[in-house]
Amino acid sequence: MTAINAMVYREAKIRATNLVFIFWDVFYPLGYMLVFGVGVNATLGSRLVGEGVDYNTFFLASVLGMASFGIASNTSWSFFLDRDNGIFFEMLTYPLSRSAYMLGKVLFTLLVSLVQTIITVALAAALFDIHVRWDRMPLLFLFMMVGTAGWFFLYSIFALSTRRNDIFNTVTSILYFVLLFASNLFYPLEPLPKWFRAAARVNPITWQIDCLRWATIGIGNAQLVVLESIAFLVFAVAGFLYAARCLQRQQ
Amino acid sequence: MTCALEVRNIVKSFGPVRAVDGLSFSVARGTIFGLLGPNGAGKSTTLKILTTLSRPTSGTASVLGFDVVKRPLDVRRRIVSVIQETAVDLLLSVRDNLLTFARFHQIDTRTAQLRAAQVMECFRFTAEAERKVQDLSGGFRRRVQVAKAFMVETPVLFLDEFSTGMDPLLKREVMALLRNEARRGRTIVLTTQILSEAEELCQDILIIDRGRQAARGDLSALKLLAKEVYEVSMTFDHMPERIESELRTVPTLRTRFENNTLEVAFKAPEGQVLEVVTALAKNRRVLRLEVNGASLEDVFLELTQGEVKS
Repeated sequence: MTAINAMVYREAKIRATNLVFIFWDVFYPLGYMLVFGVGVNATLGSRLVGEGVDYNTFFLASVLGMASFGIASNTSWSFFLDRDNGIFFEMLTYPLSRSAYMLGKVLFTLLVSLVQTIITVALAAALFDIHVRWDRMPLLFLFMMVGTAGWFFLYSIFALSTRRNDIFNTVTSILYFVLLFASNLFYPLEPLPKWFRAAARVNPITWQIDCLRWATIGIGNAQLVVLESIAFLVFAVAGFLYAARCLQRQQ
Repeated sequence: MTCALEVRNIVKSFGPVRAVDGLSFSVARGTIFGLLGPNGAGKSTTLKILTTLSRPTSGTASVLGFDVVKRPLDVRRRIVSVIQETAVDLLLSVRDNLLTFARFHQIDTRTAQLRAAQVMECFRFTAEAERKVQDLSGGFRRRVQVAKAFMVETPVLFLDEFSTGMDPLLKREVMALLRNEARRGRTIVLTTQILSEAEELCQDILIIDRGRQAARGDLSALKLLAKEVYEVSMTFDHMPERIESELRTVPTLRTRFENNTLEVAFKAPEGQVLEVVTALAKNRRVLRLEVNGASLEDVFLELTQGEVKS
C-alpha cells in the first residue's frame, strides 16, 4: 500500500504543477455543461427527451460520463509523460510491483473523478435546479469510479502498446468521437435508427451513462442498470488484466 | 555470506540476436564493480536483467540472494538504479524529485527532507532546489538523477554511464562519494565508456564483448593480459617528417597526433619500442617524453577488437 500511496502522491504532485492539466481534468467537462447543455436546453427544452425532463437534467449524467472518459484519457497520457522524461523504465526498478505502478496511477485518476463528480453535481443542482437523487450518491460515486477505471485501463493498453504520442492521440480522438456519439450521451436512443441503437447498446459508454442517469436523476430501468453495471465491471476487469499484461511486457 | 550479485549462465536473446550469451559472474559485497565493453556488448542488457527491468531468456541471476525473476520486488527494495537515459520528473522541482524518490523507498518525510538538503548541497544545486527540472540544462537533469541514488541507503547501487553530462569537478566529487559508499559496505555496479573512470574507481572489472566474458579481474590482473603494451607520449619542437613510416615498423594499438604531441600505444617488446622512440628522437628535438605500461584502455582495445591494430 505504501508504494501505491507514493505513486498517488507523485501523480498528484505532477498534475498540481500544471494549470493546463487541471483545466482538462476539471473545467473542460463543465464547459460542456455550462455552454453546450445550456444552449441545447434553451433551444429544445424537454422536447428532445420527453417525459418532462429538460436537457440540462438529461445532460448531467452525460457530463459526468464525459468527465470520466476525459480524465481517464488525460491521466493515461502520463505513461507518455513518464516515457518522454525517461523515468518510465527507471520507475520500473523502484521498490513497487508493476501492478502497484498501474494501480497508483488509476487510484489518482479515481480521486480526480470523485472531485469532478462533486463539483459537477453541486453546480448542476445549484445552477439548473436539477432534482438530484442524493440518496443514490454512493452508487453514483461507485459508477464513476468503476467507469473511470475501465476507461483508464482501455487507454493504458493503447499508451503501453505504442511508443508514439501522435498515434496515441489519434486513437484517443477517434475513440472519443466514435464512443461518445454512438451512445446515449448526447441524445436519447429511442428516436434513432435501429442500426444506431444496436451499435449504441454494445457501447460501454451507453452502459455507464444509463447507470449514471439512474443514479443522478432516477431515470432508467433498474434491471437494465444492474445488467449494464455488471457488464461494465467485466469490461473494467478485462481492461485491467490486459493493461497489466502490456505493462509486464515493457523492458 | 552471500555475494551481492550472482549471475549464472544468463542468455538474453532478441529474436536471432544474443545480446547476452552465457554470462556468469559474481560480485562480492562492498566492492565497486565495473562492467565494461564496447557499444552493443551487452552491458546495459545485463544491467537491465539485474535490476529486474528485463527477464533473461535463460540462466539465473540474483541480487543479495534474491532471484531477479522469482523475487523481483525483494530485489528492487535493495537496489537503486541509475539508467543510461536521463530519467527525472521534468515537471517537478529538484527538491520534489528527491523527496518523491525517497517516498518510494519508505523514508519518512523529516529524514527525507534532511537528506535532500545534504544531497543538494553535495551536488551543488541548492540554489536550484525549487526550480522545475524542465527549466534546467541536460547536465543538471542528469545530476538530479544521480543525486537520487544518494537519498537512500540500499545495499546495491547500479549506475549506467553515470558521469554523462557532468563537469570534471563534479565527476571527481561523485567518484569520491561512490568510493565512500563502497567503504560503508554498499556494492556499486557501474558501466562506463570512460575507461579512466573505471581505472580509478573499480576494484573488480568484467570486460564483455558480444555478450560474452572477454576478461575478468582487478586492474593489475587485467593489465597482465596486455603484456608488451607500452604507451608513449612524445612532444616535439616540430612534428618529425615521415613519422608515420617510422611508426609502421612496430605494431600499434592506437595513434593520436595533437599539435606537436604524439600519443601512441605499442604492442611490441620493450627493446623494439625503445628503438622506435630513439629513431623518432633523432629527427627532432624532444621536449617531453613519457613511457608507461598498459592502461585499461589498451587492455580493453586488445580484448574487444580481437586483433592488434597496426
